[in-house]
Amino acid sequence: MRRLHAVLAVLLAGSMLALPGSALAQERTVKITGFGAKSGVVRVFGINSEAAMKAAAEEINSKGGVTLGDGTKAKFTVDFLDDRCNAEEGISVVRRIASTDAFVAVGPTCSNVAESLFGILQKKVGDATDSGLQFPIIADVAAKGGLAKISEWAFRNVPSEFEMYKSLIAWIRKEHPDLKTMYGGVEKDFAHSNATYGVMKGQAEGAGLQVLGTSEWLLNDTTFSTQVRDMKRANADIVAISAHPFTTCGVLKEMARQGVKPKLLIGLTSSSSIETLQGCAKQAEGIIIPTSFAPVTPEAKLAAEQVAKFGGSADLHSAAAYEIMFILKDVIESQKIMAKPDTVQADRNKMRAGLAALKETKGLLGKVGRTADREAIKPYLYVHAKDGSWQVLYKPTL
Amino acid sequence: MDLLDLIDAVQSVADGVLFGTTYALLGIGFTLIFGVMHKINLSYAAASVGAAYASLLVMSVVQAPAVLVFVAAAVAGGAIGGLVYLVGFRFIPLANPLATLMSTVGLLLLIDEIIVHTTAGVPLNYPALFSDVIVQVGPFGLRGDLMFVFALGCVCMTVLLLLLYRTRLGLATRAVSQQPTASRLCGISTTQVNVLTFVITGVVGGIAGAMTGAAIGMLSPLLSLPLTVKGLIVTVIGGLGSIPGAIIAGLIVGGLENAFQFFRGVSERDLYIMLLLFAFLVFRPGGIFAKSSGRD
Repeated sequence: MRRLHAVLAVLLAGSMLALPGSALAQERTVKITGFGAKSGVVRVFGINSEAAMKAAAEEINSKGGVTLGDGTKAKFTVDFLDDRCNAEEGISVVRRIASTDAFVAVGPTCSNVAESLFGILQKKVGDATDSGLQFPIIADVAAKGGLAKISEWAFRNVPSEFEMYKSLIAWIRKEHPDLKTMYGGVEKDFAHSNATYGVMKGQAEGAGLQVLGTSEWLLNDTTFSTQVRDMKRANADIVAISAHPFTTCGVLKEMARQGVKPKLLIGLTSSSSIETLQGCAKQAEGIIIPTSFAPVTPEAKLAAEQVAKFGGSADLHSAAAYEIMFILKDVIESQKIMAKPDTVQADRNKMRAGLAALKETKGLLGKVGRTADREAIKPYLYVHAKDGSWQVLYKPTL
Repeated sequence: MDLLDLIDAVQSVADGVLFGTTYALLGIGFTLIFGVMHKINLSYAAASVGAAYASLLVMSVVQAPAVLVFVAAAVAGGAIGGLVYLVGFRFIPLANPLATLMSTVGLLLLIDEIIVHTTAGVPLNYPALFSDVIVQVGPFGLRGDLMFVFALGCVCMTVLLLLLYRTRLGLATRAVSQQPTASRLCGISTTQVNVLTFVITGVVGGIAGAMTGAAIGMLSPLLSLPLTVKGLIVTVIGGLGSIPGAIIAGLIVGGLENAFQFFRGVSERDLYIMLLLFAFLVFRPGGIFAKSSGRD
């Protein structure tokens, strides 16, 4: 009996020593919270970002997860909150995330949210006079240029539209020297479309194209006949449309009705998506759009398949969210982040410092450079709508 | 202004007038419900867009012709109209005008969000009839699909007017609208008349939603709010409760919208439409066909 007790005691002691450690190691999780629009008309962006983050988390977890500062392995879990593409709600969501033991958040979808949200963050790290939120945020979708400059706690893995359109216009000038004039169309009440049209127009003028005029409409307009008639009268070689899928399709359909057939069509980055093809594949045929994602590399193909498994679609925006999960894994490991409730602020500081120190990250299309003002320099290519799908037209050498 | 500008201006107004038929159809729905129940149903345009979305289910099952899709939209509109009455009016204290107003605001947001959650907010292609047809009248081109919308709108209006003035149901509807207590004493079921009014206006709304989708070539949840605003403007300008007023106001608003777009641009266009609304509210609150003494 005494021997049995001794054996049991040894077994118990052994289990006390071995099991909790391994059990804890298995149970450690790191929750990454994303946020963006999951309701309203831009809901699809939130769905895609969430799916991409979950797909990346599964990929990382399947390869053992992330190594924390104390050497234990942890699995990623993903939570995604809805900010309704509304600045106030975005701020509220981030304050809620920051009140937990999260050490980073991924989002938002909309530039207007990012602009306001980054404004509540501490502007300069270590500034004791600035009571702004000290919480790192890395944006995946919000595309308006230069937003990360607002705060040293703000980061973006968003392509530079300035670079993409500069390159595209230069390519057009080289490949189609016969095209001399351009006419623009812009969704005037949408920050991203408006800002990007400024880029398109500036680059076109800088490259020697004559911009004959601009038609304007609103995000929820239903008729475009007047705007397209102006376009028709201008009879430009190139028509550049800086608008999201709904009005891009509305304008393209009106152009088809009025027989407006420019020699070349350029679209907004956000329109290189499945929504445009669902809305107006026939009329969009031939439109050229620069994008930072297409399933052209093995990694990108895998990512596209995995994102689809989680009910999303991989595009330039959601691909950024996918990449961010891998960036976070690398920073957690390099900065030895502990991911414990008592190390929250230290982990946030480490995450910020780690993200700020990045000079280069791995992207789905290749290496992604990082700028001093916390923006990404992403590889890109030009796609065009052909036979009802997006196909790669040209991949510039960067 | 040179000749080309003049031609473009006239063409823009003509396009707007034709597109205004969809506003007129929506205005009729708003005005009919107001005429019978003296209530504003703010969810009407969203329900119309919802009906158009529901009709796409037919397309997902079979490769249906556009006409069948439009019929499905009308049927779905009727069903949604009945549901709106049940949820937003039947059990709400009608004596409190704010209660039904708020319940229909809630329904507007609910229907919108249902559409967004079902489709992820993605714009969907919507079939059209005669979309390739352009009728040339001198230097002007009239879109075949919009002319079809215009003709269908006229048919709907005629049928509605016949229904209201040539049938027992119409008689009952007008009786409930004018003297609800007296009509109850005469044995008319006001609930039944109200339900039928919502179903009929729902059918018209379904057609309006389908015609809007056909005219744009697409459906998007983005349509609900602007169509609600346009429908209300048309109802006010046409005169609350006036079907001919809604028809004329729809065409006027459509035409003026394009005219302001042409002359003043997108940033000022809606401003002038709103000014027009205020002008009517101040100088002619009874709408286009109101008697001049109607204000006080």
